[in-house]
Amino acid sequence: MDRRAFVKRSCLGGVALLLDHWGTSPAYSQDLIPPAPPIHVNEPAGTAVSSLRMPGLYPGRVVEISDERSIVANRVSQSIVRQMIEQGMRELTGEKDPRLAWSKFIQPQDTVGIKINPSGAPACCSSPEIVREIVAGVQSVGVPARNIFVYDRYAYEMDIGSYQALVPMGVRVTGVQEHKLDVSGYDPNVFCEANFFGEWETRSYMASIVSSGVTKIINVPTMKDHSAAGVTGCLKNLGYGTFNNVERSHRRPFSFTDPLIGIMCSVEPLRSKAVLHIMDGTRIVWHGGPLTQNPDFIFPAGLIMVGTDPVAMDTIELEKIEAKRRNEGVPSVWSRDPKSLTNDGGAFYQDASKNLFYRQPHHIAAAGKLGLGISDRKQIEHHVIHVA
Amino acid sequence: MTQTAHDWPTLLCDNARRGGQAPQPWRAPGRARWQTNVEGAVRGSPVLQGELLYVPSLAGFLNAINIRSGRLQWRFKAPAAIHSTPSISSGRVLFGCSDGKVIAIDAVTGTKSWETAAEDEVWTSPVVQNEAVFFGSADGAMYAVQVETGAPKWKKVLGGRIYSTAHVAEKRVYVGCGDGNIYALDALTGHVFWKTATGNGIDCSPALADDTLLIGSQDFFFYALDAGSGAIRWKYEAELGITSAPAISGDLVIFGCKAGTLHALDIRTGKVIWKTRTGQAITAPAVVSGSVIWIQAGITFAINLSDGKVLWRAGLGNSLQSAPVVTNHAVYLAGMEGEVYALE
Repeated sequence: MDRRAFVKRSCLGGVALLLDHWGTSPAYSQDLIPPAPPIHVNEPAGTAVSSLRMPGLYPGRVVEISDERSIVANRVSQSIVRQMIEQGMRELTGEKDPRLAWSKFIQPQDTVGIKINPSGAPACCSSPEIVREIVAGVQSVGVPARNIFVYDRYAYEMDIGSYQALVPMGVRVTGVQEHKLDVSGYDPNVFCEANFFGEWETRSYMASIVSSGVTKIINVPTMKDHSAAGVTGCLKNLGYGTFNNVERSHRRPFSFTDPLIGIMCSVEPLRSKAVLHIMDGTRIVWHGGPLTQNPDFIFPAGLIMVGTDPVAMDTIELEKIEAKRRNEGVPSVWSRDPKSLTNDGGAFYQDASKNLFYRQPHHIAAAGKLGLGISDRKQIEHHVIHVA
Repeated sequence: MTQTAHDWPTLLCDNARRGGQAPQPWRAPGRARWQTNVEGAVRGSPVLQGELLYVPSLAGFLNAINIRSGRLQWRFKAPAAIHSTPSISSGRVLFGCSDGKVIAIDAVTGTKSWETAAEDEVWTSPVVQNEAVFFGSADGAMYAVQVETGAPKWKKVLGGRIYSTAHVAEKRVYVGCGDGNIYALDALTGHVFWKTATGNGIDCSPALADDTLLIGSQDFFFYALDAGSGAIRWKYEAELGITSAPAISGDLVIFGCKAGTLHALDIRTGKVIWKTRTGQAITAPAVVSGSVIWIQAGITFAINLSDGKVLWRAGLGNSLQSAPVVTNHAVYLAGMEGEVYALE
C-alpha cells in the first residue's frame, strides 16, 4: 500500500443516517439528543477491498450456541467452549470439518489479530478459554503462533485479565497503548475527525496493528449493556477498540456513539480485515457496562454467538439485553426519561434504573445503513442451538 | 556495596517475600518529600539500595533516582519495555525486558555488565541466590545463569508461559506456570522434583513459609503445598483469579484477588482471619510493614494487619501492579503513568 496516498470522505452525522429510525421508534419522539456533526474520514487510497469484508461471507446469519455447562461457579469450561465454538463454526459455514470452516476466513500466510474486549476485566471480559480455542482454530489452518496477536487498545486492562500467562506459548499479547496518554501505537495517517463538544483534539487515529500489523482480525466482543452506546458488542469492540481518543464522543448526558461507531467500523482497512466475530456470552452484563464489577448485574448466560455480520449479531445481542432488563423491571436501553439520568457514578453502578447518558442503541441500525450488515430482525437468519 | 537496614533489593524486599517487616508501626504519610515522573508507564516495582531508587518503565528505561533530592541520577536505556521488578546483587541491578533479554548493569554507574537472552519476553523478576540468577520467560522456560557473567547454567522448558517470579530456597526453585502447574526444580540442574496441577494458568509468584509453599491460581484458589512433595495441604477459594503475590507475616499469609478483596489466612490451616474489600481488582503484591499492609489497587491503601481495617487511602498514580518500598524514613511508590513519590 502506498502510505502517501490517502483519501478523505465525509459522513453526515446521525440525522441523515437515522432518519428512518427516528420515524419508527417511539422512543425517539422526545429525543433531546443534538444532531451529530460531520465526521471526516482519512483512509488509505487503493486499499484492496476484501471479499470477506464486513458483513462478510454470511450477511444476516447469526449462530447462537448455548450450553449451561460452559460456565459453572463463574468459571468457564475449556472443554465445553471448545465444543461450542467448533459447532458454531460448522453451523455458520456448513462445513463438517472445523478446520475447513476456519479456512474459509484464515489462510496460512495470514497474520491474525484476535481483538479481545478486556474492559470490564476481571468480572466480564473476553474469556481466555475462548481465546485459546480461537488460537487453536487459527493454528489448525497452518498459521504459526508467532503470527497470531491477541490485542486490545489498553495494555493495563489486558494485564488484569492475565491473558499474557493464559494464552498458548508463542502467541503475542499486545496492548496498543501502555497508559491513557500513550499515542505511539496509532497510525497518524488514518483517522476520523469531528468536533463533537468543542474538544481541542478532534481526531481519533487508527491503531497501527490494525492499519499495518495484521492481515485478518477475529473480533471477540463480550455481551454488555453500555451506558452510552446502549450495548457493546461486535461494532463497539471493533470501532472504539481500534481508534483512540473516543471518550470525547461522550459528554453527559449526550453521546455520539451513533454514528461514530459505525463510521469507524467502515474505515478501511479495518472493514476488510475483520472477517469473523465470536461473541462471548458466557457472561452477560445487563446493567452497568462496560466497566461494572457488580455481580448483581452479570449473569451466566452460557452462550456464544458466531457470525460475519456484526450488525446482525449486535441486533440479537441488543434483543437479549433488552429482554433481561425487561425481566428485571428496569428501563429499556431506549429510554429517554430524563428522570433516569444521574451524574453519580456510584448510583449508576448500584441502581439499574439509573444511567449516565441517553443511550444510543440505534448505532447498530446506523451501521447497517453504512452497509456493515443487516439490522432488520425479519431478515436475520438466527440459528439457535441449545446443547444443554 | 554493603546492604543497609533500609535497602530493598528485590521484589517484596528479600527472597523470603516478607515485605520489609519494619518493626515500627507506620503512620499515614504527612507529605511528599518529592514527586517526579519517569518516561513511560511503570508496572514493575521500584527497588532501593543506598541512596538510589531504581524504577523500571515500559519506555525501556531503568531510572536511578536519588532518594534525597528526587532527581534522576542516571538512566539506562534497555532495548525494550521493562515490566520486570529489578533485583540488586553484588553491585549490579538485574532486570528482564520484553524482547527476552535479561540485563545486569552496574548499580552505581548504570553501565551494562552483561546480558543474556530468553526466546520471549521476561516480565518476571530475576532472583539471585548462591551465585546464580533464576528467571522465567514467556517462552515457557526457566533459566539459571551465573550472576557474575550471565553465562548459562541450565534451562528447563516447562509447559506454559511463565509470568510468575520464582521463589528460590537453598536447593529448590518454585514457580507457577501458565500451564496451571506449580513446579519445584533442582536449583543446581533444573530437574523437576515435582509438579502440582491447579485448575487454570498461574501468573502469581509463590512464597515459602517454613516448609509450606503458598501461591494463587487463575482457578480462583489459593494453595498451600508441602514444599517437599508438592502435596496440597489446603486450598482456599477466592471470588476470582489470584495474581497478587502473597506476603507473609508470622502465621499470616496476605494476598489480593481480582474481585478486589484482600485476604489474610492462617498459614497452617487456611482459615480466614479477615478479608477486606478495596473496591478494585488487586493484582499487585501486598507489602507488610510492621502492623500495616500496603497495597496498590488503583489507589493506595494502608490496612491494619491485625483486623484488615482500612487505616487510610490515597489516590497516588493509579497503580495496579507496582508494590511500594517501605523504609523507616519514607515510602517510595510508582504509578501507572510514570509518577514516582517519596512520602514521609
